[in-house]
Amino acid sequence: MALLELSHITAGYDKNIILRDFNLSVNRGDFVSLLGSSGCGKTTTLRLIAGFSEPNEGTISFDGKDITHVPLHKRNFGFVFQSYALFPHMTVFDNVAFGLKMRKVPKAEIRTRVMDMLRLVDLEGFESRYPREMSGGQRQRVALARAMVIRPDLMLFDEPLSNLDAKLRVKMRVEIRRLQQELGFTAIYVTHDQEECFAISDQVAIMNGGVIEQMDTPAHIFNAPKTEFIAHFVGFENFFRLTRVSGQLTAENGTPMHVALDRSGDAFTGCIRPEDVQILPPGSNALNGIPGEVLVSTFLGRTVQYNVRTAIGEFVVKADQSQVYPLGASVLLELSANKIILINPSNH
Amino acid sequence: MTSRMRKSFWLLLVLPGSLFITVFMLIPLFSVVISTFFPESSFTLSNYSGLIRNVYFQQVFGRSVRLSLLSTLLCALLGFPCAYYISRYSKHKGIMMAFAVFPLFTSPVIRSFSWMVILGKKGIINQFLVASGLFARPQSLLYNEFSMTVGFVQLFLPQMILSLLGVMDSIPEDLTEAAGSLGATRFVSFLRIIFPLSVSGLVTGSVLVFTGCMTAYTTPQLLGATDTQVLSTMVYQYAMSLRDWTQASAIAVVMIVVTMLVSSVFNRLSRKINPLAA
Repeated sequence: MALLELSHITAGYDKNIILRDFNLSVNRGDFVSLLGSSGCGKTTTLRLIAGFSEPNEGTISFDGKDITHVPLHKRNFGFVFQSYALFPHMTVFDNVAFGLKMRKVPKAEIRTRVMDMLRLVDLEGFESRYPREMSGGQRQRVALARAMVIRPDLMLFDEPLSNLDAKLRVKMRVEIRRLQQELGFTAIYVTHDQEECFAISDQVAIMNGGVIEQMDTPAHIFNAPKTEFIAHFVGFENFFRLTRVSGQLTAENGTPMHVALDRSGDAFTGCIRPEDVQILPPGSNALNGIPGEVLVSTFLGRTVQYNVRTAIGEFVVKADQSQVYPLGASVLLELSANKIILINPSNH
Repeated sequence: MTSRMRKSFWLLLVLPGSLFITVFMLIPLFSVVISTFFPESSFTLSNYSGLIRNVYFQQVFGRSVRLSLLSTLLCALLGFPCAYYISRYSKHKGIMMAFAVFPLFTSPVIRSFSWMVILGKKGIINQFLVASGLFARPQSLLYNEFSMTVGFVQLFLPQMILSLLGVMDSIPEDLTEAAGSLGATRFVSFLRIIFPLSVSGLVTGSVLVFTGCMTAYTTPQLLGATDTQVLSTMVYQYAMSLRDWTQASAIAVVMIVVTMLVSSVFNRLSRKINPLAA
């Protein structure tokens, strides 16, 4: 049974409903990311789980118990904020000790637990500093220590790394993953950074317009997106209609299309990444060849990006520089059979 | 622009203000202080030793400090929840703030008069006290320390609320959320987070209220009586009725010193609660 279960959640204000009939389940020990652009409801979801707000409808259960209306301070979930939210008037030690003091842990035990935790996040010797005397990365590690020292039943991360510079972000996400594997906590991680969330998670839930479009392992989402939105999200830029004509998938211009991962159904949207399309001289011999004309060519350094107009829509193609095609040139696009992904035509 | 030109440019900005302050505040203040030590060409402390030995002055001094401290405490107790509510939970912040500040638009004289109406023998408080059977006859609520304190609190509460609101608004919401997620109830997170972080506003507010109470003239004059004189009314009496300007100046200097002393005590207390408060 899932550790955390959100069922039929509705949340938001009268006119601005953010989540509608929202469902999510998280297994014990998993690192689950909620990924999506701003306004998709990912932070709202996290805040509901934390207990900062309550849903209008639906239930949240944890470990089999209904916690929908359990107040924030009784949930024992650790929360890491984007802004760190350290208490500015307390030292690092007092910040980390705060949750333990609330739990009336004996003084000596507080001391050892705080020191152990500071050692774990590599902040030994910083205990009497104030937050404002520390760098962003150090502050975030204090925030991590403060949330983890209470031995939370669930760790919640709200874009914890987005205030850090790129290099530190990569370092910290490895750190967070290491801590999660070392301490074995269950985590829900909200981010809009695709790379970050793929690198860190066991499961990724991609959200769009208040619903989860797909929840899967990072590899699955990357290789087999289920909807056009997700395909866009993970780098598919070319979409074309495919219909089955007497058993054979066929493009709109009548070209028979061979797809390695065919499945049952009569109408699909085919999609392919720009780097998986070959651009060839006209008249070349190619499986799934679509003739077209170069509209725009953009030099990107290692590759050249072409926008090519074809009878089945405009294609974005990334090619190496071995052969350069000028504007207006006739070309043939080869859509590799084993790179085309079939998704159900979008109905929303 | 050379650095010298830049310097003289800044000087130009500061000059009018500092000139004004020097001519109309520093020089008069200085001459007030000087005059108390040199009533006749030679230096003497007699003005102060006389005051200190004067039992009547001792009473008035004690009353002034006591009522000012009490009013400051009451303003803090009443202002804190108000400011907290406005900054955290109120949906109509602007309207609430306007309500808090509204009394400032009326003159202290008018406000004192309205207290005379409310607290008088036939005022609504007494009507209620008699009608409810708590007291057989109307109580004297006016022209005593009680009515003065009520007047002070009402006069200076807006200053306290505004000072607190200023700092509370700058405390991010996620600090209390963080405290909550770590197991603190709302009350505890108010005590451990909001309160220490608002202390600088509390100090500003307290200094404003205390100074205001010490120097207020119309309120003690209208809501007090001859046997409840305070330092400010005493200064007036010495200067205007007795024409003893040196003695009036000495009392004024005592007022300044006390106000500065109390302000520094407030500041020191605040640093104990929040070591980072400026």
